[in-house]
Amino acid sequence: MFNVSNLTVAVEDNEILNNFSLEVGPGEVHAIMGPNGSGKSTLAHVCAGKEDYTVLNGEIILNGEDLLDFEADERSTKGLFLAFQYPIEIPGVTTLTFLKSSLEAHYKANNKEILSTPDFMKLVKKKAAELNIDDGMIKRPLNVGFSGGEKKRNEILQMALLDPQICILDETDSGLDIDALRLVAEGVNNLRSEKRSFIVITHYQRLLDYIKPDFVHIMYNGKIVETGDSSLALELEKSGYNNYTK
Amino acid sequence: MLAEDKNINVEEQIISYCKDNICSQDIKHPLYPSRLGAYELFRAHGLPTTRNEQWKYTNIAAKLEKIPSQSEIKPVPVNLDNFINNFEIVKKAKENKDSVLVFMDGAMQSQLSAVNSESKTISISSLKKDPIPDWAIKLNSKKHSQNVNELFNLNTALMEDGALINISDNGGIADTIYIIHVGNNDGFYNYRHMINVENGAHVNIIEFKISNKTNIEALYTSSIIWNISDNCVVNNVKYQAHNQITIGFNQQYADIENNTEFNSFTISSGSKLLREFRDINCNGSNSNISISGINLLDGDSHIDTMLSVKHKAPNTISREKYKSILNDNSKGVFQGNIIVDDIAQKTIAKQSIDALILSKTAEHDAKPELEIYADDVQCGHGATTGQISQESLFYLKSRGIPEEEAKRLLVNAFLTDALEEIKDKKILETFSDVMNSMLNRVSKGNLNV
Repeated sequence: MFNVSNLTVAVEDNEILNNFSLEVGPGEVHAIMGPNGSGKSTLAHVCAGKEDYTVLNGEIILNGEDLLDFEADERSTKGLFLAFQYPIEIPGVTTLTFLKSSLEAHYKANNKEILSTPDFMKLVKKKAAELNIDDGMIKRPLNVGFSGGEKKRNEILQMALLDPQICILDETDSGLDIDALRLVAEGVNNLRSEKRSFIVITHYQRLLDYIKPDFVHIMYNGKIVETGDSSLALELEKSGYNNYTK
Repeated sequence: MLAEDKNINVEEQIISYCKDNICSQDIKHPLYPSRLGAYELFRAHGLPTTRNEQWKYTNIAAKLEKIPSQSEIKPVPVNLDNFINNFEIVKKAKENKDSVLVFMDGAMQSQLSAVNSESKTISISSLKKDPIPDWAIKLNSKKHSQNVNELFNLNTALMEDGALINISDNGGIADTIYIIHVGNNDGFYNYRHMINVENGAHVNIIEFKISNKTNIEALYTSSIIWNISDNCVVNNVKYQAHNQITIGFNQQYADIENNTEFNSFTISSGSKLLREFRDINCNGSNSNISISGINLLDGDSHIDTMLSVKHKAPNTISREKYKSILNDNSKGVFQGNIIVDDIAQKTIAKQSIDALILSKTAEHDAKPELEIYADDVQCGHGATTGQISQESLFYLKSRGIPEEEAKRLLVNAFLTDALEEIKDKKILETFSDVMNSMLNRVSKGNLNV
């Protein structure tokens, strides 16, 4: 379903991803762990279509199409979702306006009938309530003055509304206290289905206590150097990356 | 030919035009002495050049080569009424039975105008109509005697028509008056509005200036002189969208007395060259004013705003908030001057000037200045120039929002806090359709950020 193969990516002359490959089947959850600078966030950004990188080789296939041929917005409407490590604050754009523009862009691109404003409000309020997001928050400017937990819940709210097939969570656990982490993880778990897959990028095993991965990969120097099940994360917690970075 | 040489030619042409105009005036007319005086002053000083500090970033001579040719007869086109009525703002004005004054090429069109007959507190006349009210003659002489600048003198010498509006105490129920101005023919137009707001009066004045066609070559000077008494609330919004070959010199003067609120907001777009000169005097204490605006520039447009706010009494507040969006090869200039006299203790004055540049070839020059002679004041200014944040753009795109729409959202977001200076939200709503189409145009184009 989602297949990254032989992806080599550079920023200026530095190769950040080096022949990176990863195959994600429907409904699977893959965790990617690795030391700082191993290329995890670059992978997330390149998949989502950020323009600061030069793709030297490889492909990112979603449902038979190479996402590298498409702009960031098209990748989103084709079913890829990136939950940002640091969601951007945009003063002057309310969260509600942003959610509406975003959902309408998805419906338009996928030839679905655009929801009426009351139906849209009903949908947003329902999904927001599930994530403990109150009305006041969605009326505020996008992410402005949001706490770390509110920003991440807002990311999951967007994920729930846009109904993606492949979700990449870029260090979603960073900056969250234990309660916020549990709430965000529950939100993600509620979205797990046979058709939807996840790539969970994290530094800490703790997140994986809540979001149980089918596979755990260790990334180093721009490629996967080890793959295992959830026990691999537990082992890393004890012994660190030393065994995999030599 | 050098730019300065061209200046001499167009200057001579304008002086000769003024002379012909003065010769054709009735010397017994009450405005004649100021016309003649202003003509002589203009003849002595000529057009301002870049040697003048206030014109440092705008070279008139480079933009204005000659007075556009014009025909003597300017018939009002049969479809002008339809053209005007198509604007949502005009429809709403008429629905609300507000007073609507229509001008074409600087001349009032009585047959297209409508004054709210139910209002007993509005009195409207025009410069062309005799007799000119005493308050207007006095206000005109007072401003003329201050010899403010070359272009004001030019406007005084040549003014043909304009609205003369007096508002008396209406018990806090604001009268709303729309002044619609349509540029319809090539030519050189000069008009002056004068507005006298008596003690306790509330008024909304909405100015709406548009070009009827893209190929009309117009040069104009306009001035609006406000005399605002004690305990008034005045909301003024001016929307002007000229074509790309119009050259306009606008001047706004306001004298504000005690306990008065004056909110004046300008939305400008288009024009080969547009100069906005705004000279605001807080003469009385406890007044609260906002002199703000947005400029939306594309193509080769050049908009130069020169703003001077003078605090001449204690306990006054002023806010100047300007936002500009610049695309293509456009140029924006903002010079803002806040002067606080020694007696104007407890003044609060805040000025911010922000520009968002959408192309590699647009330019924005900002020169904020504070002159403070009192010691117990809170004054500040700030100026920023930047581009659309690539991080914000990527965030919006990553949620499926196409680039053009994402940019629109960000451009709108940039303007939001300036637009909040339009205090009357109903007025803001009436501008939403024209604003949207203006924003659509400006935020498109070669957005190679």
